[in-house]
Amino acid sequence: MTTSLITAADPAAAPEGRGGRRRPDRRGPAGYRDALSIAAVWLVLIVATTVVRPDFLSSQTLLAVTFTMSISGILAVAQAIIVISGGLLDLSLPVALVFSAWATVTALNNGLPTPVAIVIGILAGAAWGALNGLIVVFGKLNPIIVTLATGFGGLAVMLIFFTSAQIPSASDLRLYGLGRFLGLPNIFWPMVIVIIVAGLALHFTRWGRHVVAVGGNAQAAKARGINLRRMRLATFIGAGAVAGLAGVMFSAVTPSFTAAAGAGFQLIVIGAVILAGISLSGGKGNLLVLLLSIGFLATIPASIAFFGLPPAWALVFQGALLIIAVGIDGYRLKRTAR
Amino acid sequence: MTTTSTAPARPAPLFDDPQQSTARRILGTFKGPVGSISAALVVTLLIGLIWVGPAYLSPSNVQIVGVSVAIPLIVGVMASFALLAGVVDLSIGSMVGFGAVIFNQLVAAGLDPWLVALITVVVGAVVGLTNALVIVKFGAEPLAVTLGMLTLLRGLCQVIVVSAPPSTLIDPLYTVTQGAILGFPTLLLIGIGVTLIAAGIVSKTRVGRKVQAVGGDDRAAARAGISVTKVRVIALMVSGIGAAIGGILYVGQLGSASNVLGTGLEFQIYAALMIGGYSITRGGVGNPLGGLLGLLVVAGITNILNVQFFDPDYLDLIVAIILLAAVLVDRIRGGDSFE
Repeated sequence: MTTSLITAADPAAAPEGRGGRRRPDRRGPAGYRDALSIAAVWLVLIVATTVVRPDFLSSQTLLAVTFTMSISGILAVAQAIIVISGGLLDLSLPVALVFSAWATVTALNNGLPTPVAIVIGILAGAAWGALNGLIVVFGKLNPIIVTLATGFGGLAVMLIFFTSAQIPSASDLRLYGLGRFLGLPNIFWPMVIVIIVAGLALHFTRWGRHVVAVGGNAQAAKARGINLRRMRLATFIGAGAVAGLAGVMFSAVTPSFTAAAGAGFQLIVIGAVILAGISLSGGKGNLLVLLLSIGFLATIPASIAFFGLPPAWALVFQGALLIIAVGIDGYRLKRTAR
Repeated sequence: MTTTSTAPARPAPLFDDPQQSTARRILGTFKGPVGSISAALVVTLLIGLIWVGPAYLSPSNVQIVGVSVAIPLIVGVMASFALLAGVVDLSIGSMVGFGAVIFNQLVAAGLDPWLVALITVVVGAVVGLTNALVIVKFGAEPLAVTLGMLTLLRGLCQVIVVSAPPSTLIDPLYTVTQGAILGFPTLLLIGIGVTLIAAGIVSKTRVGRKVQAVGGDDRAAARAGISVTKVRVIALMVSGIGAAIGGILYVGQLGSASNVLGTGLEFQIYAALMIGGYSITRGGVGNPLGGLLGLLVVAGITNILNVQFFDPDYLDLIVAIILLAAVLVDRIRGGDSFE
């Protein structure tokens, strides 16, 4: 009985950070601890797979893992911006991805030059983010519910309007998607740049510090003169633009895709963000840890394949890992809060 | 004490004039979310009557709608206890699929259907308990935990069922899922029965008030001596058990269980429940009757689209728009606003 009362009175036990209750900030050492524990688990996975199958450590595996990391990594940055800014979660990112990929491919098929098509793709993502942001800001509605609805509605609209989209096989973007640089897939490098730029921007620019401040305590940020509505709208548009870039990269590596092609990214992206210690209550997060957790999650399907298990086991492990990760995160927050 | 803290929209029965309380309470119910959703249902029926014609309300068509709504209704009503207690369980769609898959596979392997049904329900309870352990004991986000469970269970479905699943025909189950009593589908009668019992529990019993209190304000509930842990653990187990039962019933209805059964069912159910007055981001609000009406609206629209040979994708679009409208109306009426 006593334990249950403690649990109930404990702010960290509340399911959502409703209103003013906020968890204590634990950036700094905790960030390194997150990074170290993910790196350790990742290493254990690699060593375990290598012991069973020595041929796991090959350039083929490296290519497969970095390829998986590329698009989910960029999309995870978009999700991280939303979560850190206190926007809870964006469940419509898979739609943003496919929508901007479709916009890019359509622009290319209509003979527009590659740079213009890339800009159109990114703008399409930003426009999608703006739609979500406008509904959230002017309807004063919870972003999880809004993006749940726009996600399903947007998918339905895309399913109605196109069955599959193909990138022109000889286009520059397609050739870029097939190419490699420094032994890794070309699309891996934009992901690294996005993570570094976004990570630096969050910590060292005025805009980034405002995002973290709004996420940490919206009312305090407002009292200090930050325009909450403008900030919220800006984070949704910014995150949408990043998702748009992910869509452009996706179109470069996918010869043909359907409207539902983004669904597979939903869990790995949310899982990576939570695993990286970016709490859903907002206000904290380190994007370099995010890079580690993306790498770890992207290694799982490759390991599964080398263990000779059916690919469906990857879902089982990723799901179990997400449950364990949020469990550990919640437990640590409870201990620090006590 | 508890009643006053539960539903701010409705007057507390404690202060009602006892003579007119019953009539006023019934009217009061219709003033809240249940009222607007009843209006939405009437509009749906009118559109159906005008567009499709009198055949829309013909007994055979009503029966089709009733059968299609029955299993989501049972799953949704059981899951609504978790929503009411302030913990959303996203894993119900996958749990329906997982329950159906293990039930179908074990029956096809020659085990006694009753025993297998018991095993399936126990598995549902264990899944709910696992969700509850991580959410309540470790204080993790319900959304994230049950999203993980959604993926895990879907992965298990795909591991167990690789190619075409075996088909099964279980006599007692078949009579339940396909039979009719006095012209009404048995399954629908069971679903409505479950809804009425749940509505009675929520609005008339101490248990229901406890669940509402925990969902409305867990700290106040704890101070009032309610075990928040116990209520949430049981609510999540009820949600898992309901999904397992839904899985068994789907096997009875479809005669088999593929590894994609129940995919996206959680969206349809929670959209219907939110249209009916529940919230997935805060507890303590909503009534199973509202959930029933919400599901009927969605099923009524589905039926119009089917009869008129529309692309079924329009359904998700329409449901999404109604969902946004419903939460907006709820917010304007005094529900939680975001920032």
